[in-house]
Amino acid sequence: MSLTNYLVLSTLLFTIGTMAVLLRRNGIIVFMGVELMLNATNLALVTFSRMHGNLDGQVFAFFVMVVAAAEVVIGLAIIVAIFRTRRSASVDDVNLLRN
Amino acid sequence: MSYAAPHIGWLQIAPLAIVLGTGLVGVLVEAFVPRRARRTTQLVLVFAALVAALLLIVAQWRDTMASGGVSLFGGSYLLDGPALAIQGTLVVLSILAVAVFADRTSVGQDAFAPAAAAVPGSDYEELARRKGLEQTEVYPLAMFGLGGMLLIVAAGDLLTLFVALEALSMPLYVLTGLARRRRLLSQEASLKYLLLGSFASALLLFGAALLYGFSGSLHLGEIAAATGTIAGLEGLLLGGMTLLLIGLFFKVGAVPFHAWTPDVYVGAPTPVTGFMAATTKIAAFGAMVRVVYVVGPSLQWDLEPMLWTVAILTMVVGTVVALVQTDVKRMLAYSSIAHAGFVLVGVLAFSTEGIASVLFYLVVYGLATIGAFAVVTLVRQTRTGAEGTVILGEATHLAQWAGLGRRSPWLAGALSLFLLSFAGIPLTAGFAGKFTVFTAAADGGAVPLVVVGVIASAAAVFFYVRLIVLMYFTPEREEEGEEGVTVVTSSGFTTVVIAVAAIGTVLLGVLPGPLLELLGQAVKFLP
Amino acid sequence: MTNPYVPILILGGVALVLALGGLGASAIIGPKRYNRAKLDAYECGIEPTPHAVGGGRFPIKYYLVAMTFIVFDIEVVFLYQWAVNFSELALFGFVATMLFLVVITVPYLYEWRRGGFEWA
Repeated sequence: MSLTNYLVLSTLLFTIGTMAVLLRRNGIIVFMGVELMLNATNLALVTFSRMHGNLDGQVFAFFVMVVAAAEVVIGLAIIVAIFRTRRSASVDDVNLLRN
Repeated sequence: MSYAAPHIGWLQIAPLAIVLGTGLVGVLVEAFVPRRARRTTQLVLVFAALVAALLLIVAQWRDTMASGGVSLFGGSYLLDGPALAIQGTLVVLSILAVAVFADRTSVGQDAFAPAAAAVPGSDYEELARRKGLEQTEVYPLAMFGLGGMLLIVAAGDLLTLFVALEALSMPLYVLTGLARRRRLLSQEASLKYLLLGSFASALLLFGAALLYGFSGSLHLGEIAAATGTIAGLEGLLLGGMTLLLIGLFFKVGAVPFHAWTPDVYVGAPTPVTGFMAATTKIAAFGAMVRVVYVVGPSLQWDLEPMLWTVAILTMVVGTVVALVQTDVKRMLAYSSIAHAGFVLVGVLAFSTEGIASVLFYLVVYGLATIGAFAVVTLVRQTRTGAEGTVILGEATHLAQWAGLGRRSPWLAGALSLFLLSFAGIPLTAGFAGKFTVFTAAADGGAVPLVVVGVIASAAAVFFYVRLIVLMYFTPEREEEGEEGVTVVTSSGFTTVVIAVAAIGTVLLGVLPGPLLELLGQAVKFLP
Repeated sequence: MTNPYVPILILGGVALVLALGGLGASAIIGPKRYNRAKLDAYECGIEPTPHAVGGGRFPIKYYLVAMTFIVFDIEVVFLYQWAVNFSELALFGFVATMLFLVVITVPYLYEWRRGGFEWA
């Protein structure tokens, strides 16, 4: 099986992720789209690494995984904070929110 | 095969190590130092570290310029002239920006939420406010962000570039959501920044993967070397470069990738807006200039159409949309977009003069930006109720700024100076910056771009001057019932920052020569 | 000779048919007699509560644990290279990895001091 197929798959996944980011309105789904893009890129990196016969791409993929995890954590923290703010009954509290 | 440990240039990485190390120590301070002493400890740490980093950068200047720079960690960290110059700029501007963070003003509160994790309006937050708690985590976060910026301008390979980009972005996502007032707006800005920012990083990453696929190497120099030798894979090369540049365009806020800029600049606490408007843009431009000048030359004909389109769109859209803004922060946000366009004109000169002009323009822009946002932090709304007059958040609507020149002539004067510098009026630094950028671009053959740039700057004068006219020649608005506007006194930090920025702006406007000459030495990229 | 992965594909197909077939067959031919006891949620003899405690909310600690875990879990990939090349990387690798471990411990110290690990 040709290695090119992996690249095609990677591009497809990347495109799906991009579409999810551009078309969906739910913050969490958008975020999943971004993660899909990152992981699609990982596939491309590992494939290229195999094609070129050096390890740079695989090392890059490790770093991408770590960055993706950090992004998820920060993203979730912000989303949770917003969720709590939004649902709180006292959002219109004059003292804090009015300028 | 035995493994040889890489040579570590301790002196060369010292500024970066100090900044990141301070961030780390800052986290420990948050964990172990008693609450009362935290703010003082953080401030002492941060300023000591920034000054030390600056001194180390200055100490390396002569050697680096003479030798052309050093390549460390197998070419991952390239400390050459442009990298060192931008690192110096970043550290100086960070000192100013962090000083604005620290200002509590006469109200006795800084710009950050006392307990950012608390639900706005909850009892817990009210308690935190009454006890005078502060979110001193902002200082380590700023240090981590600055560390990423110092790294990205020296990134010699795509892996370092990507990691540095994330390292500079993530602390900013969090900082954006920490505003004391208008919490929901701030948190939404934070989410928006995070989603669009990580989307941009993902695009950049895929571009990096394609470039790796093209050349089999992550090093910019080797990718550049491969451009002439590998035939039949131009699709990978061009696609990769395009995606890589799009990622960086996002970070500098170039049109059509600017959608996040106004919302994030408005939602973020104003000191953070000043910090990120100045430093992120500079760092991302540092990375962009390196990519374009190291890998780009052999692709100049292929990349130019895209870069030209983006530059023209950025200048035009930034200026035109800024004309119709009624909010000071939003207006400054669009003006910063327009400025990204002007810097791009300098990048497109494709010459050493172009690099020098970009470096100079970034210094000028950074000074005026931090100064202008520092002024915005001091103009506040008030509300007179049963319990007397309460000072609220910033008065950002343009109408609220009417007559400011009469009440606080110094503050309005400083802001006017920054606005004139943005507009590029002679005898301010902005003029010198625009002049050098446009001259370099015209010499480099980008005359149509220069024409658009000059027209855009002329149009931009209108909205900058409109605010000045509003401050000086429009009578103060009648107090409408209980609403009012006041100027709070700085607790010292912001005053110093505004003064330094103003003096710098005038000095660089009257005497741009020395700095231009200095930056003229720093134009050689290591491959 | 066909592709060596074909048997795996066949196995996957068989598994799919079995799983879907079992579900489908019981749905079609199985008897359906519902009574109250059968429709009740099975909760080890405890009277089932109509909603989760606290109106369907679960504590914010859940996210804290999840986030702490994700970061800690993923950081381990950097130890992997060190582990497979332990002897070759020698002292440099050891010092670098220890430095890395110290650095990633700092956030946990922060979280601990700020009460992030206090369940209850």
